[in-house]
Amino acid sequence: MDARGEITDEDRRLAAEASGLPEATVYGVSTFYDDLLAPRGARHVRVCTGTACFAAAADAHVDAMRDALGLALGERSADGSVSLAETVCLGFCHSSPAIRDGDRIDAGPGVVERVLGGATAEAAEPEWASVLEEPVLIRPGDWSGLAHALAELEPEELLAEVKQADARGRGGAGFPAGHKWEFARRSPGEQKFIVANGDEGDPGSYIDKYLMERNPALVLEGMALAGYAVGAEHGFVLCRSEYPRSMPALEAAAQAAREAGWLGEDIAGSGFDFDVTIMEGAGSYIIGEDTALLACIEGLRGTVSARPPYPAERGLFGMPTVVNNTETLVNAPFIAMHGAEAYRALSPAGSPGTKLVCFNERFARPGVYEVRFGTPMRELCEELAGGLIDGHRIKAIQIGGPLGGILPASRLDVAFDFDALKAEGCMVGHGGILAFDEQTDMRAVARHLLRFGAHESCGKCFPCRIGLFRALEMFAGEQPVERARLEPLLETLELASLCGHGSGMPAPIRSLVAHFPDELGLV
Amino acid sequence: MQVTIDGRALEVAPATTVLEAIRQLGGDVPTLCFDERQAAFGACRVCLVGLEGAKGPVPACTTPCADGMVIDTEDATARRVVSAVVELVLSELPAPPGEHTELAAVARELGIGDELRWTGAQHERRHDERHPYLAFQHELCISCGRCIRACDEVQGAFALTATGRGFHANVTAGLDAGFRNSTCVSCGACSDTCPTDAITEITLLHMSDGPQ
Repeated sequence: MDARGEITDEDRRLAAEASGLPEATVYGVSTFYDDLLAPRGARHVRVCTGTACFAAAADAHVDAMRDALGLALGERSADGSVSLAETVCLGFCHSSPAIRDGDRIDAGPGVVERVLGGATAEAAEPEWASVLEEPVLIRPGDWSGLAHALAELEPEELLAEVKQADARGRGGAGFPAGHKWEFARRSPGEQKFIVANGDEGDPGSYIDKYLMERNPALVLEGMALAGYAVGAEHGFVLCRSEYPRSMPALEAAAQAAREAGWLGEDIAGSGFDFDVTIMEGAGSYIIGEDTALLACIEGLRGTVSARPPYPAERGLFGMPTVVNNTETLVNAPFIAMHGAEAYRALSPAGSPGTKLVCFNERFARPGVYEVRFGTPMRELCEELAGGLIDGHRIKAIQIGGPLGGILPASRLDVAFDFDALKAEGCMVGHGGILAFDEQTDMRAVARHLLRFGAHESCGKCFPCRIGLFRALEMFAGEQPVERARLEPLLETLELASLCGHGSGMPAPIRSLVAHFPDELGLV
Repeated sequence: MQVTIDGRALEVAPATTVLEAIRQLGGDVPTLCFDERQAAFGACRVCLVGLEGAKGPVPACTTPCADGMVIDTEDATARRVVSAVVELVLSELPAPPGEHTELAAVARELGIGDELRWTGAQHERRHDERHPYLAFQHELCISCGRCIRACDEVQGAFALTATGRGFHANVTAGLDAGFRNSTCVSCGACSDTCPTDAITEITLLHMSDGPQ
């Protein structure tokens, strides 16, 4: 993307020369990422089409911007002065709808008028709080966990604590972090890498955004601990281009850590070396998947690879690689400092540890909260987040991202925990809690989710590539949806897809089928 | 290590895939993105088989054998899902694949007729016939990636790439200006492996249209 606001073949040739990649490969990359596709005018305006913005405004802000600028999404004005594109999602779900004007993000009531009037303001960042007296995940990182580990624990001992703590991945899949670390530690390789997955693509989530921008030192400390346990000397953080404030915050924290001696060579005189590289994505949800994330870091199309080999065995540049969500990593400093038993005791009525959740703008007190596993969803929604604003009622909530099932208001007594939510066809996922109010058209929700799913399919495996598009077509208009055609399509997506995107997208659709069959127009 | 396939035991070497084991026993399952000259890709999901104890069917081409595995190539769930996948693939093509193509053969093997359960948008017709020997009919491309791997792994010319994403994924040469303006060395490995005739040698393309 240059001064002309679009990528030309000349740019691609230069990129090929600079990177050593074949021209064809560079061309393929330039047609994959959203940021590289939409032409940019002198002023580039991006409307957020995430699920929180949908829940707040039913995409009215998108229509308003389109009409006022006279541009379709992905179009640039003839004189090159302005361009309009969509983006999912800006992570201002506490204050929807959100619009990005250049690198300035505005959100909330009146946003369309402000942007059109040339008065785009910086939206306020969300509030955050912990239900714990001594917060674990929102405690500002001070490198004490790493200091303790380097002084008191051998790498194997730290690994044993993390395994014993049974910290499950917080990015969505819930895979035990200790097992991943052990797999990478045992895998032979000249080098090993730690990758912090900050590609928080879930529409409606701003947990990683909070961590990377407000508590980046704790993320970096978690990475260094993973490096110590696994035997890795370098880490990468992949943050999102949709969060323009993340990369500078991480860079600043890394620089401060280097100056304080917490990153670099011979950390705290221990002989342990560790440093990080901060990178930014270019607009793709699917690179949140581990293998696609590694492809993105390598400068390639963010497509998914079949496993095995697992990244822990053969990952970045063919080396054993731990890919952990940023929130998973921020659990490590507590475990290193206090041990597995203390960690397991944090949530007496549920899974080990605590979890960050975030609420969308429909709630009275949206924000990022550290909560205990096992807390009833009703308590989280009605007490912690204060129920909905302006007397609205919850119709349903989607938990854990676009692949999470949808819980109707009648079932809010379920506990927020891995197994309890699974029994409801839902998941903890990444922890976004997104309310749809009583005005929401649930068929429009199905259409919104499938549009997202089809757009973000990497295009590699056939079921996801074609199946999500066909599912979207089934819900596109107002025509009835035949169960006899929908059911086998969902089954095919679930059982045949290469990764969790295709196999996970049916979950919310199944919830809608179970709880809102009439609104969906099923026959 | 030993695996059991359709009730028959087989001793296999480490790193043998389930697909290789099936073929060692003289059996087979349909495939679309697999070419034994290339690294397994795992994209088409047409080689799914039943694996005892697994949550669902597994792809034979990318699943390594493990001692004691029990495989069922006729697993009803796997067959049902594979048929659906092939129906989906057929639904994206603006015209049925040529009778002689691998895709048509797989559809016949699975008993898929002209009636497809899911229909909708199809690939737009787009032809590149600027190269003297190779023609590209982009609308027939099913993104199996075999041509790209043939070019990269077999020929080492690196002239092809996947493009776009999702339903709009496709393949192109170089900077999308045709084979002629790419690093293509006219070896024909891509057309040789293509399961749909999206890439063909020009002479064959014209023969299939009838006498010139």
